[in-house]
Amino acid sequence: MAQQTTLPQAPQRISRSGAVSAPARPRRPVRRRRNPLVWILLGLVRRIYFALKVGIRCLLLLPILVFMVAFSYQVDRSGLFQGDLAPRRIVDLMLEGYDVTNFEQMDERQVVQLFAQDVPETPQVIGVGSSRVLQFNRELIGTDSFFNMGVTGADVRDNMTSYYKMVSYGKAPQVLLWSVDPWVFYGSENAFDDRADAELYSEFLTKVLGVPTDYKEPDKVALWKALAEPAYFQGNVDYYIKNRGQATVTDDDGNTIEFNPVQGDPYDQPTTIKRSDGSVLYDVAFRTQTQDQILSQAAAACETFNSVHMEGFNALDQTQVKAFEAFIDYAHSQGTTVILVLSPWHPYLYNYLVNEPDKHSGFFQVEPWLRQYCHDHNVPLYGSYDPTCIPGLEEMDFFDGLHCKDTGIAKFFPGVPQVLADLEAGTLPDPLSVTPRTTAPQPETADGTDAAPADAAPAA
Amino acid sequence: MTITITPAEVWAQLTALVTGGQSALALTSALYLGFFAAAALITYALPRIARPYFLLVASYVYYCYGPANRALLPVLLGATLLTWVCGLIIGKSRRKPVRVAFLVLAVAGCVGILLYYKYWNLFAQAVGGLFGMAGASAPIAPHPDLITPLGLSYFVFAALSYAIDVYRRRCRVELNLLHYAMFVSFFPTMVTGPIERYPHLRPQMEKSRRFSYTRCAGGAFRMLWGYTKKMVIADNLAVYVSLVYATPSTMSGPNLAAATALFALQLYMDFSGCCDIALGAARILGYDLIENFRAPFEATTFSEFWARWHISMTGWFRDYVYFPLGGSRCNLPRHMANLVIVFLVSGLWHGADWRYLMWGLSCGVISVIAKLTLAPRKALWRFNPLYREPAVRVFCQRCVVFVLFCFTLVFFASALYDADPYAVYAGMLRGWDGLAGSWQQVTGLIYDSGIDGRLPVVLVCGTAIVLAAEHNGANVARWVRSQCFVLRWTLYYAAGAAILFFGAFGQSAFIYQNF
Repeated sequence: MAQQTTLPQAPQRISRSGAVSAPARPRRPVRRRRNPLVWILLGLVRRIYFALKVGIRCLLLLPILVFMVAFSYQVDRSGLFQGDLAPRRIVDLMLEGYDVTNFEQMDERQVVQLFAQDVPETPQVIGVGSSRVLQFNRELIGTDSFFNMGVTGADVRDNMTSYYKMVSYGKAPQVLLWSVDPWVFYGSENAFDDRADAELYSEFLTKVLGVPTDYKEPDKVALWKALAEPAYFQGNVDYYIKNRGQATVTDDDGNTIEFNPVQGDPYDQPTTIKRSDGSVLYDVAFRTQTQDQILSQAAAACETFNSVHMEGFNALDQTQVKAFEAFIDYAHSQGTTVILVLSPWHPYLYNYLVNEPDKHSGFFQVEPWLRQYCHDHNVPLYGSYDPTCIPGLEEMDFFDGLHCKDTGIAKFFPGVPQVLADLEAGTLPDPLSVTPRTTAPQPETADGTDAAPADAAPAA
Repeated sequence: MTITITPAEVWAQLTALVTGGQSALALTSALYLGFFAAAALITYALPRIARPYFLLVASYVYYCYGPANRALLPVLLGATLLTWVCGLIIGKSRRKPVRVAFLVLAVAGCVGILLYYKYWNLFAQAVGGLFGMAGASAPIAPHPDLITPLGLSYFVFAALSYAIDVYRRRCRVELNLLHYAMFVSFFPTMVTGPIERYPHLRPQMEKSRRFSYTRCAGGAFRMLWGYTKKMVIADNLAVYVSLVYATPSTMSGPNLAAATALFALQLYMDFSGCCDIALGAARILGYDLIENFRAPFEATTFSEFWARWHISMTGWFRDYVYFPLGGSRCNLPRHMANLVIVFLVSGLWHGADWRYLMWGLSCGVISVIAKLTLAPRKALWRFNPLYREPAVRVFCQRCVVFVLFCFTLVFFASALYDADPYAVYAGMLRGWDGLAGSWQQVTGLIYDSGIDGRLPVVLVCGTAIVLAAEHNGANVARWVRSQCFVLRWTLYYAAGAAILFFGAFGQSAFIYQNF
């Protein structure tokens, strides 16, 4: 019998690990449901952490920017922040205590503004006015803490803005010595000097006195942008490298700046110099003129008297009067004592003027009004336009028709400490005790009546 | 002097800046940096899913900054929509005629935009000239006031590459229009490239990266590196090069040769610098872009040079022009013709100017000659004693490649500075005065051009440092990130100080921005 082939059995699953079971399926990871609030908070924390990290790293780069800005501000070759290079050099020299040469070439207004900006300690006394105040110096004032902010040809705007600059830098002085020129009360364009900073005056009127003007705030953002401008920084680096350690300094265009410290005796200089206290010391030749020379200068000034800011000055301008009063009030509000000074004119010139009062009616109204004002407001007033009102004043106390020498000033101004003492003690001289001449004295006739005013200039 | 600024003033300035009539947001301007910082800040403040959409908005804001570009926004939108819709149909359709038809539509649309805005005037002038010779009036007239949209060549090429890639099934079709629009208009690459490919950028958009400090720091240094190259080296070199190319007929041979060689460096520093800025910016935003340069001046052959220079563009032309033409897998004449065609098209891409065309042609011809003479040149190597030392051989080969590149660049520089290239070539032969005399001529003019003081030293050292740091395509940012804190920050400060002290500010335009 044929053997039947056995059928192969189905393979048996052998499990070596004991219990037979299907291989475990990979378990799906159970997704834990996140609390959305926690999720948001985590995201927030993560973002804040990285923001702080990035911010701190960015801060490490800040010194580069700070250096750039500080360097540009310090060197400032275009004078955007520190003023032009030449006036800046003058002020730097003055602040270092030097007298500076080449006064005629100075932009005095910029020098004054820069001084207000840069002076580290507020001077106790400042003087404002035209060139007629520039002879006031530390000796005459009686204190070392004095700076003369007078500028040649100053008009009312220069006077007020010089003080305003000091105040705006938080350097309001204790005493303001104002040599008031008659054109301060004249409202015509003729009374203004082209060199004055009209914008600054408009700013002063608008911001301080509340007088509406066409003043617009300057674009400070443009300035700020220049400070952060790398190209400006590079220009400053070039300028700094070029001028570092050089005896002569150049301006932005490479021209030499000709303002240097006075060498030798300041009283023996061939040119006019600006003293470190802001006063002006004329050159030797001008200071040592003979009486005839001075007289001829005064005579020449007779014909041109009105042309000095007083063409057509017939009456006090009420706007200017109000501005003057408001300014005095403003100075008082800043804690500043105002001392007014009337610098005399040369006797020859004044005599000439009183002989033609109709041509100078505005001029002759100024002093009486001022005296009344000072009397009413207890404002110290010294000097007089009329030289005969100042005892002992001589023709030799003048440089020319307009400018009184320090010897002349000493004859009517006792010095600031004395003025302050008198003010405190209530012993100020009464402004109304002096009556300046406004017309020529009438020579008495045989019948005892006055003759007509002389129409000719008095004899020298 | 105290400067106090009111918020109103700041706001007025800001609005003036934003609405200021500049044509484009210059990459070297503080405004661009501010815009970028704000964009990066907002990007990382948003949830990851929303980031590409925000970047799309930022890109369109960037595009619309210039008033002229605002009017040309439909061009960007049109190119985006056209290629997206065509890509959608090409990708979804299984019928070849439909696919081909929509590919042709996409290509024709994009090329049409490109031709109209970049080459219409050239074309119209050429047609006008032809008709004029025949004594007839031309049927088309040039449009002198035609403005080219910002980044036209870059976004059109990016959009085209997507449509072609979808057709070739190299790229999945994108269903999300906004993602695609962001790819086309991505603002760091908008002005100067690199020309991105969608398959490369897509995964990065679909899953935005988490914030990484290391990544952002690397990106920031890359930007700083780019700014240093552009503002310190390229812009200062441009002073001398532009002076020489302004009046080539009056310049001596040594100056023309030096200016051409320096132009090669200037172009590299300018273009690679702006690519570094773009790559660094994109990296901060969470995107890795194509590297556009890999130490091109280290190439030992002319063809290798083009594999290292403007990689995204040469890659684009290789993939979408050279290969479709047959590439090298055809007979020799056809192969050589393909080479010349690719370079001609590449030249034309740079601008509607015959000098760019000549530049492309000269590159093509040199490539053809290089291919044809490769075998005999290699055979001759063993007879050249200099070539026995590999280092010397490599050096000589690099020099030859550089000289050849400079030779072609005369056309390029002439187009850029509007000079007569033949006058430059002719001028190169005159005025040589021995080594010392020629050197004096060059250095004298360099000093006269305004590159004086410490600047020449900075330029020489800076160029050497850049070329050494990027040796063999090394990633400088990565290397810097691996250094210790002190060294790293010293380098940051050095780069910042170099820009601050020696950067040329006010020359913000990049050369490749014009293309």
